[in-house]
Amino acid sequence: MTVAHSRVNEPLPQGVGRLSRRWFLVVGLATAGTAIGVVGWLVEHEQGMVATGMRDVGTMGGATWGLYISMVVYFVGVSFAGITVAALIRLFNLEHLKGVARMAELLTVVALLLGALAIVIDLGQPLRGLVNLFRYARPQSPFFGTFSLVVSGYLFSSLVYLYLTSRPDAARLAAKPSKLRPLYRVWAAGYEDTPDQRARDRRVTFWLALAILPLLIVAHSSLGFVFGLQVGRPGWFGTLQAPAFVVLAGVSGIGHLIVLAALVRRVLHEEHRIGMEAFTWLGRFLMLLLFVYLYFVVVEIFTAIYQPTVNEQRIGDALLTGEYAPVFWGSVAALALPAVGLAWMAVTRRWRIGWMVAFGALVNLGAIGKRFLIVAPSQTHGQLLPYPVGTYTPSLVEYAVVLGLFSLGALLIAGFMKLFPIVEMEEATP
Amino acid sequence: MTRYAMAVDLNRCQGCRACVEACKIENNTPNAVFWMHVFRLEEGEFPNTKMTFLPRPCQHCNNAPCVKVCPVGARYKREDGLVLTDFDRCIGCRYCEVACPYGVNFFNWRNPEEAWGEYQIPFDDPDLASVTGGAVPPYKNPDHDLRHGPEQRLTSGSAHFKGVIEKCTFCVHRVEQGMLPACVDTCPVQALRFGDVEDEDSPISRFLRDKESFQLLEELGTDPSVVYVGGNPPSSHAREIERPLTGV
Repeated sequence: MTVAHSRVNEPLPQGVGRLSRRWFLVVGLATAGTAIGVVGWLVEHEQGMVATGMRDVGTMGGATWGLYISMVVYFVGVSFAGITVAALIRLFNLEHLKGVARMAELLTVVALLLGALAIVIDLGQPLRGLVNLFRYARPQSPFFGTFSLVVSGYLFSSLVYLYLTSRPDAARLAAKPSKLRPLYRVWAAGYEDTPDQRARDRRVTFWLALAILPLLIVAHSSLGFVFGLQVGRPGWFGTLQAPAFVVLAGVSGIGHLIVLAALVRRVLHEEHRIGMEAFTWLGRFLMLLLFVYLYFVVVEIFTAIYQPTVNEQRIGDALLTGEYAPVFWGSVAALALPAVGLAWMAVTRRWRIGWMVAFGALVNLGAIGKRFLIVAPSQTHGQLLPYPVGTYTPSLVEYAVVLGLFSLGALLIAGFMKLFPIVEMEEATP
Repeated sequence: MTRYAMAVDLNRCQGCRACVEACKIENNTPNAVFWMHVFRLEEGEFPNTKMTFLPRPCQHCNNAPCVKVCPVGARYKREDGLVLTDFDRCIGCRYCEVACPYGVNFFNWRNPEEAWGEYQIPFDDPDLASVTGGAVPPYKNPDHDLRHGPEQRLTSGSAHFKGVIEKCTFCVHRVEQGMLPACVDTCPVQALRFGDVEDEDSPISRFLRDKESFQLLEELGTDPSVVYVGGNPPSSHAREIERPLTGV
């Protein structure tokens, strides 16, 4: 397994460059999942989007936005965690969180890539989209925010941030002989971690972090505006959409980060770099965001049942007691239980990583459910003219593509872990 | 300036749906796609029920939500009031469809050559081909491949490309030749009228003069170009008597 050993003096840290059987198993599964997704997308491309469960709203009684758009919103939401945590660490000097900073940034980049991919998959003419979205960009469309701010600006600045904060490690690794040394030389790009360079990089990342935080609010809000500004869709039009998007983005992102951090800690035995303090901090942050979001949910339900208009009532009934009730209450439970559990751990000060991982996974299921409920019901049940009520059930092709997206994400993270330390290396004390 | 509009006389409409058929034939719209749709609505409880009919073309709004949200400017409003789709530019994100409160947009879910389903008639049979001249339906108006308007954009007809949004064009290819939209031309009881509302002496202006009228979902501020006279907006208790037609 470790052929390289004889040729280098010292193995690279954190299993970088050494491919274990376990890694091959994970990558094999992820590759299989990605392949299923690619097949699904090819079928969709070949037949047209008739292969999906989506249909036209109105006389066709369908939903023209479905699982794909839900996943766009979800993945862009997950990206929240990384860069927020990274920026907070940088701005407030949270030393004990340094261990999760890089994986958080990686999570942001991967999630944004998946979100962008999901947008392209959802387009009827993906190639035209890649050209026309930039060539004929219209800032008046809320989609402009999603494409240009989220996918371009946000992704680009996150990549720059990830790169800048990884350069010291690249320089350190480039100093040692290894198979991957040429890569680290290019990665470091002349950076040698001198005090001068370090000071400059710290200055740049500080201002970048400061610039990214507002960009983040704008980007996630713009995704909420895609729905919240549509007066013709009961259930969408509302002031709460943008802030709720930001908060739920944080919930799913932090949840993901907890799961990833626990995995890395376990697999790489990084117990001292990713300490309990990091988990406690993330757990408290997640709890706070969950309670804010649950407050939004209560406000939403109350507004929907107190004195709704006829059209709002149709959506509210479908959500609370009708066709979508299982998904709605299931999602609420998947968000409420972790909130209570985290609160219990916070009160008793007994944090259990196992439970936190379960909660992190659960809130993500809840987040996916809530995203779906924002997208679908307002189309099937939200017609203002007397069209009959519609239905939407995702097709196998859509499920395959979504599986492919998740698998691709796992593949990207597993690949990164074998090229570069996912936990920031300890600073060499001179 | 010209400003096209449509007037729908609900006193006259008898729900025959000749306009729906005319639209399908003129624009070759795919299966389950109805650029022109006529609601047949039932209101009240038996035995006190009432049937009403409500034709619903694209409303060609003057403050069109679909135009606002299009991320690439494929959906646009012409100077003469027509709201059209540039089929060459549309990327198929379907944002216009979710933004439209009237449900008039239709997506090309299938490849164009499969859009009309399977014909049961053997058109390649030599005997039949000698009669049809080898043409296979849907017979398509060649004007649909022309570019229209001062902008010269591909905006008329349907099923040009897979994965592109389409909707009622007010028959731009006919209007530009001085003809009426197919639905208006076909209506056997003149329930539909079309013309230039800026011109005080046009038939539609004279028809609308001194008549009470309403627009669909006026409260949304979309300001539709389709004006209804001789009836009431559909009440929230109105029931469509048809099921959704899903088989694209």
